This record gives sequence, C-alpha cells and structure tokens, in this order.
Amino acid sequence: MPKKGRSKNKSHSGVDKKGKILKTKRKTIDFDQVQANMAAETARELLNQPIDYDVPGAGQHYCLYCARYFIDDHNLQHHIKSKVHKRRVKHLQTEAYTPEEADRAAGKGQYRAPRPVHVPKDQNTLYKMETDTVENVVSVENK
Amino acid sequence: MRLETCYYCSSTVWPGHGIQFVRNDCKIFRFCRSRCHRAFKKKWNPRKSRWTKAHRKLTGKDLTTDATFEFEKRRNEPVKYQRELWQNTLSAIKRVEEIRTKRERHHIMKRLRQGTLDRKAADLREVRDYIHLVRAPNATKPMEEIEMVQKAIQKREEAGELLTKVGTTVSTTKKLSALRRRAPKIEVTMETSDNEQMLAEDMD
Repeated sequence: MPKKGRSKNKSHSGVDKKGKILKTKRKTIDFDQVQANMAAETARELLNQPIDYDVPGAGQHYCLYCARYFIDDHNLQHHIKSKVHKRRVKHLQTEAYTPEEADRAAGKGQYRAPRPVHVPKDQNTLYKMETDTVENVVSVENK
Repeated sequence: MRLETCYYCSSTVWPGHGIQFVRNDCKIFRFCRSRCHRAFKKKWNPRKSRWTKAHRKLTGKDLTTDATFEFEKRRNEPVKYQRELWQNTLSAIKRVEEIRTKRERHHIMKRLRQGTLDRKAADLREVRDYIHLVRAPNATKPMEEIEMVQKAIQKREEAGELLTKVGTTVSTTKKLSALRRRAPKIEVTMETSDNEQMLAEDMD
C-alpha cells in the first residue's frame, strides 16, 4: 500500500479553487442573462420546470437570481435568507454591464449611467404580478 | 481590418491582439489582453475597477456626453473606394480627434479647478477657526498683529471672490458666501502684556 500522504498530494496536484473558477468550461450564468431571465415569460418557465432528475431536486426548487437548484424548499428558503443571495440581489438592482456599454465608454456614442432594475424579494412575483395587473386592467375595463 | 473595443477596459483591440470569448448565446466578448480576460472570468464589474473607461465615465472623471462621440460608429455597410471620400474622411478624423481631446482636457481641468477652490475654502475656514493659535502668548503688539491677519484674510477673500467668478459651480459660490458671512469677526480683547504695564507705570 502506498503512503497515504504521497498519494493524496499526487491526486490533487495543481488543483486549487481559483484555477477552477477561471476555466471557461466552468462558466456560470452572467448578470445580464439573469436579468433577461427575470422577464415574466422566462421566469414562469424557469420557476415551473418539468421534473428533471439530472438536476438537484429534480429542478423543482430554483433560485432565479443566483441561477441555482436546491434539493428542497427548506434549503431554498434557507438560501434566500443567506448573505450570498442578498449580495447577488443587490448586484442585480443595477443594469448589467454589456459590450454595448463598453463601446459607449470607448467614445462610440454617448455614455449613460446604468439604470436601476426592480428586483422583487419574492421571485414568484416576477410572473405572478404581471398576470395580476393584466387581470386588474381587464376587470377595470369591464366595469 | 476592424478595430474592436475591449469588453472590460474599452481600449482598442488591434488585429492579432487579445482574445475573444463567445458565450453560449452567441454574444461575443473581446478582450485586449489577458488582464481584462482574467477579470471577466472572475466576474469582476468593469464599473468598479478604477482603470477602466466605464469607471472613469460613470464617476464623471471623463467627458461623457459630447457631439464628437457621434462620429465613430460600427457601420455594417460596405463603401466603394473613392479617392476623394477617403481623403476627406482622413482629414475629418484628424480634426474631430483634435476637437475631442481639447474638450476632454477642458473637462478634466474644470474638474480639478473645483478641487483648488475647495482647498482654498478649507484653508480660509482653518484660519478663521484657529486664529487664536497663531498669536504668540507674549506678543508685545497684539492689536497690530490682529490687524495684519485681518488684512491678510481680506486679501484672500478678494482673491476667493475672483476665483468664484471664474469657477461657474454653484456649490463653491455658496460655500464662499457662507464663509464670508461668518468670516473674520475676531473679537479684540485688549490684554496689555506685562512689559506694557511696566512701561505704563514707569511713564506715570
């Protein structure tokens, strides 16, 4: 049997967290993509996914802002209370940086400051609110 | 040949330089050097790195809105070569560049002038509040000294007034006028020093 310490060192050589994050094959979703997902239709799709056993929790407990799956509702609720989630929500409250903004900053067109984005606390209101307002408008018109 | 802009620092990406990343939704991100690419992979916000153009524009350090920014554009239309057009364009580019750099420089100078005004106001405030520290405890002629200081303050104020006329910002004029309102009403307490008292007694 080989020495324990030696084998351990060999199998984990060159593996550190920083290097892993920097690999583009491990790329996670960007802020501008999350903000695109916050549109009512995509939000409805993402928050009511069909059962898929390949993702954690069969895709039934998804945090849209952090683009993460959780195994059950308890874990999702615990995550929503966490610092990581809150920090992420704060980032999302301003318009994401895009290549177009880079162009404008370079002097191709007029630069304008990023606009604020409304991020509701409860992610389910992203698509529920839309229908509510539509129903309200319809009911008002009927009256 | 096309000169692209870097996603992160907004500098020019020349052919054969940098690297580009195509995201799985077909969006292209171009980087001028590994420094910018690395920052992107770490998901840093270009608006928060002080060395990017986006940060400088967002914080008002550089000129943001100007007519000269409307010339450079991505025009996806092929143009047939015409000698005259080519020459005109080249001369126009030079002229526009000249005007733009002039305006950008003016913007920065205007910004820095604000700082000098602020510093001046702070100095005036310091003189007003801590004048009692300047006077030596055994000063023989307190009255004269105070007059001198008052004159100096007046002089500075006049200079400050002139400066406010140059600087167009409202905040500094407000600050200076507030200073002037409160400014140097130094109460002169005639405390005759020991030497003077001695002299007076001698005279008697």
